[in-house]
Amino acid sequence: MIADEASMAQMMVAAQKGDRAVYRALLAEVQLWLERYFRKRVAPAQLDDLVQEVLLAVHNKRATWDPKRAFYPWLAAIARYRWIDHLRKVYRSAEDELGDHDAAEDSEEEAVMARMSLERLFVHLPEKQVEAIELVKIEGLSIAEASQRSGQSESLVKVNIHRGLKKLSALVEKAD
Amino acid sequence: MNRVHNSLIDELSYDLDPVRPMRISGGLALVALAVVATVVLVELLDGLWRGVLAGEASPVFFITNGMLALLGAAASFAVLRMASPHVGNTHDGARWSAGMLALLPTTALMMLGIGGFAAAVMEDMYGLGCFLAGSAFGLVTAGALIVWLRRGAPVSLAAAGIYTGIAAGALGSFAFGLACPIDDIGHLGIWHVAPVLLCGILGRFAVPPLVRW
Repeated sequence: MIADEASMAQMMVAAQKGDRAVYRALLAEVQLWLERYFRKRVAPAQLDDLVQEVLLAVHNKRATWDPKRAFYPWLAAIARYRWIDHLRKVYRSAEDELGDHDAAEDSEEEAVMARMSLERLFVHLPEKQVEAIELVKIEGLSIAEASQRSGQSESLVKVNIHRGLKKLSALVEKAD
Repeated sequence: MNRVHNSLIDELSYDLDPVRPMRISGGLALVALAVVATVVLVELLDGLWRGVLAGEASPVFFITNGMLALLGAAASFAVLRMASPHVGNTHDGARWSAGMLALLPTTALMMLGIGGFAAAVMEDMYGLGCFLAGSAFGLVTAGALIVWLRRGAPVSLAAAGIYTGIAAGALGSFAFGLACPIDDIGHLGIWHVAPVLLCGILGRFAVPPLVRW
């Protein structure tokens, strides 16, 4: 069970004041949240790296959280930003096969979080762009394999990835 | 997996120092300071138009400069909010203000007709000077906003660039507008609005590399 908004905000206030013990607990919660947040949208072998990148970003940019605003939307914006960066950098690796890591909707918090989810971003992209990004950047197929699987030409796969990522980066803060 | 992450968490916790949260009020103060500095610079380099206080300025003078100032404030506010990322951030105020500013060149076109509008573009001997000066004076505000964005964590880089440019162009043109005694719609609606467009385009391409993190 991941801590609720009020507890996280309270812990972050203490962290900004320099309370190391509370900060440690906060980062542990953030780590759990991120692992759940990125599940299905990152190849399992790359999950660790991405979570660590976001933890570092949270640490370096902790002053940018305004105590008057909610904590999770701040964290989600940073997570989305780093995720899109990550998708740009991803190259194929033999162990990138994405398994079925569907999680049950195990809390009401989950429903609230859905508004900030990564899936929410894909809704704004044409189907072909989502398919190209998923096949190449998340499942790790080559352009040729993705072309064969999707029925799109190789150049169309490349164009769809390029346009899709460009559009995603403009949607980082979008909630609906 | 946990072992690796936990050691990172240990390190980060160990390195923790207190930080002062970035508050939007601090950013607003910085932008206000930049605007005051720009107006002072205009006074030193060109001299503000004293005719304003003597009641010589037309209503269009006040409407144009008022709209530029409001657009500059709205766009600056949008940029300051972008420095603190948040899923759900919107920038509708700046968007609507930019739309409203477009009323000025539209009015100029309607009032002057196509021929008169073209003449105002081609034959206004002071137009280009106002356009360049308004854009150049925007650099002060642009610098302040870029400093704020670099301290922050902008995640919408293209939008941050566009709005930084719009804010800089609007506030630069506003400040220089206080020194310009030409107060007809043909001059103000074209040459004092154009810096906003130019700076918005420049900001889109120049700002993101400076604030990427």
